[in-house]
Amino acid sequence: MSNLVIQHLTRAFGAARAVDDLSLTVPSGKFISLLGPSGCGKSTTLNCIAGLEHPDCGRIQVGDFVMVDTARNLVLAPEHRGLGMVFQTYALWPHMTVHDNLAFVLKLRKVTGAEAERRISAILELVGLGEFAKRYPFQLSGGQQQRVALARAVVTEPRLLLLDEPLSNLDAKVRQQARTWIRAMQQRVGITTIYVTHDQAEALAMSDMIAVMANGRLHQYATPAEIYEYPATRFVAEFIGATSFLEGRLVERQGEWVRVWVPEIGELKLRADRQPGGKVREWAHDRPVTVAIRSERVQVVRGDGPCDNTFEAPVTGSAYEGARWIHHVKTPAGTLHLETLDAAPAGKLRLYLPPEALFLAPEC
Amino acid sequence: MTTTASELAPARVRLTLSWDRLLQWGVFLLTGLLVLFPVWPILYQSVLDRPLYDPDRSFTLANFSRVLSDPVFWQVTGRTMLFSGLTTLLALAVGTLMAVLIVRTDMPGRGLFSSLIAIPYFVSPLVLAFGWTVVFGPQGVLTVLARSRLGLDWNLYSMGGMIVVAALYYMPFTFLACVASLRLADPQIEHAARIAGCGPVRTLVSITLPLLRPAIIYSALLIFVSSIELLSIPLVLGTPARISLLATYVYQLGVAGITIDYGALAVVAIVLVLLITGLVLLQGRLVGLERRFVTVGAKAVRPQRLRLGVLRWPLAALVGMITILGIIAPLLGIFVQASTALLSPFINPLSVLTLKNFAIVFEQPAYRESIVNSLLVATLGGAVGIFFMALVALTTYRSDFRWRDGLRFLALYPRAFPALIMGIGFLWTYLLIPGIGGVRNTLIAITIAFIVTSLPMGFGTVSPSVLQISPELDRAARVAGSSWFGTLRHILLPMLRPALLSGYVLLFITFLKEYSVALFLFAPGSRVIGTTMIELWRQGNPGPVSALAAVQIVVIAVVVVISRRFFGVKLHE
Repeated sequence: MSNLVIQHLTRAFGAARAVDDLSLTVPSGKFISLLGPSGCGKSTTLNCIAGLEHPDCGRIQVGDFVMVDTARNLVLAPEHRGLGMVFQTYALWPHMTVHDNLAFVLKLRKVTGAEAERRISAILELVGLGEFAKRYPFQLSGGQQQRVALARAVVTEPRLLLLDEPLSNLDAKVRQQARTWIRAMQQRVGITTIYVTHDQAEALAMSDMIAVMANGRLHQYATPAEIYEYPATRFVAEFIGATSFLEGRLVERQGEWVRVWVPEIGELKLRADRQPGGKVREWAHDRPVTVAIRSERVQVVRGDGPCDNTFEAPVTGSAYEGARWIHHVKTPAGTLHLETLDAAPAGKLRLYLPPEALFLAPEC
Repeated sequence: MTTTASELAPARVRLTLSWDRLLQWGVFLLTGLLVLFPVWPILYQSVLDRPLYDPDRSFTLANFSRVLSDPVFWQVTGRTMLFSGLTTLLALAVGTLMAVLIVRTDMPGRGLFSSLIAIPYFVSPLVLAFGWTVVFGPQGVLTVLARSRLGLDWNLYSMGGMIVVAALYYMPFTFLACVASLRLADPQIEHAARIAGCGPVRTLVSITLPLLRPAIIYSALLIFVSSIELLSIPLVLGTPARISLLATYVYQLGVAGITIDYGALAVVAIVLVLLITGLVLLQGRLVGLERRFVTVGAKAVRPQRLRLGVLRWPLAALVGMITILGIIAPLLGIFVQASTALLSPFINPLSVLTLKNFAIVFEQPAYRESIVNSLLVATLGGAVGIFFMALVALTTYRSDFRWRDGLRFLALYPRAFPALIMGIGFLWTYLLIPGIGGVRNTLIAITIAFIVTSLPMGFGTVSPSVLQISPELDRAARVAGSSWFGTLRHILLPMLRPALLSGYVLLFITFLKEYSVALFLFAPGSRVIGTTMIELWRQGNPGPVSALAAVQIVVIAVVVVISRRFFGVKLHE
């Protein structure tokens, strides 16, 4: 099968390494996301795959088709890689109609005449824009332009589909639809897809695998569930989801459980198997540790409830977000964020941190 | 999906890659060659004791000491600085005032004035100078009228006269820069001042005018540099009074003098180029420093116009007088003189109507040739020029060519070369390089020199449009399988069409007006309108000069109107 294999990819701008020794394998037909904050190197990585950027070092190949191998001084020009790409601004050529945009890319791949027409009408049908072939890009809405851009990227049946934040220019409602739509389309065509985004919700919802990047380095490459439940680094834990961190000290490890002392809150019980690398076994008593919990897992206890892992604290701030309320609780060990469906009662809250939801944050 | 893999073997890749590279290298080398062409013979000649084609020549430094120790040279240089400085100040004052009155106040007749004031931008300074002599010269219509009826008198052939005419010629540069800046400025900045308690006049003085500083400084240096190298106005208005400026000094040394002092000519050329290079660098620095004043904001908010109250009509009258006397009357004078046998305020022009002047210009082969040549150079040379300039701009801003920064420098470098010096440089190049002597006396020689002289302008016109096209559009084409050249052909050049059309019209007008580059280069067979006008003027034939000027004005007016009406061409910001 033709997997995309990236090995030791490095791209430096002066002293700054935009991409630093990145290695990644994308199985054929899978949809992966490059996720990270702006400046993390995800777009540079994508541009290196596309050929729009020259890597300083590394190797990129799809199956046995080598696109970049700096050891052999081989860097293919973008036009010789046979890829499809959707850009942030869609990059539809404004002086060509929808039909001509598609016909032009087909012509570049030597597909002309009846075969080209057949492919164009098939793909436009697929993206639901059959009647728009004669329109110019400026006559289309943002969502329609985005679909034309996608049609243009896949009509040549490329080796890879590269998506550079294609949803960031759409408004919230259309973006939701476009997500499911792109994913469905990708699965129908079965094309290996690299998706660049800084929006974790998009990445989690659409991808088979997510590569989380920061400062040019790959932090974790795993399925969405793994990334969310078992963050490999402190950065991933902070970046994905709304996570609170409490500073404490290790008390002891007992079979499946770990106990951590957190000032003002008391002793917290955690499951030992959620700790990264299982290193906790070697850790000494009284070692400083950080306990983490997702804000949606914090529970408010009303009336009777569990006694373990509970404590009382005053709410220091609240924000209404429509579907839910977000509250902030300040403790000496750190600020805890939590979600509720109703406004929190004034004064102190009794909070329960379920042991299976707590995890020790990775140290780096 | 994997079937295409075998089609794209790396061997073919390298080959196609080199076609793009070859083109980029071609553009780079051609630009370098053309731009450096006129430089080296001047440097070479400056250290030779005889003309550079003389086989007995030998090296010497005497040229420098001779010129630099000549008090006349220093006197002329000082006078040129004075002329340029005062011209700049006057042009700035009038241009800024006009811009503020027209864009920011409720002065009557704003729309009409704004199109009239820009006229000198399209007219050759040579034509404007001739127009002024017709109307305000010692025997000019209005001069004679004022002398006999009002007892007033003035002398156009003086420093003052030259400065006034030059300032009127350059005023549109300031006007257009200020208008663009005023229209772009964020009106909310003025609103903020008004809400903070600032009155309308005070807002104008302490907010609006300071925001114009970049536009004013930019045009100030542009005008100063251009007026140093300006030949036409000092030639037409200064020569009769024996007032010599650097440009006329060079002209006297190299064309009009009895013996040509090659060494001195080269040294003066070098001094001029160095002076202008310094000023151009200063301009780049100052404009860079002035970025902080640039505000670009929402255009939806219309700024309030300042109410002038009782001053409305007096100010409109002042603006009207400047436009009518300074711009309309001289141009009208040209037409009247061209179509009458004798121009005098005491004779009804309708009684002396004649087509004689036009007949001379159209029937005498030497003169007709210059009209045909000018049209040829403007039409074909302009097309070749704009295409070449677009290639330079695209290679500079839209390729990964290694020396693209160098290419940009080369494209902008002719800015430091006065047109007259460019002419000398090209003439000597044609004289020196064996094998291209045949080109020397042809229109091709003149066209090449015109293109190189206007390269910075054309490059500057095309570049903003190139930069406005999102790079994602060419990236999309590259990823889809297009080569660099294919991207130019199918994406960038088609998208640049409106900008190229504007650039073409601009080059057409520039080439039609141009005279100083051609002064050293023209020969029988390659005369253009500008050189013939100067020839006829030196022979003392004001009638045919006016007829030629009228032809030039009409052609330019027709081109401007047609390109604006039918092609929506924008010729300034």
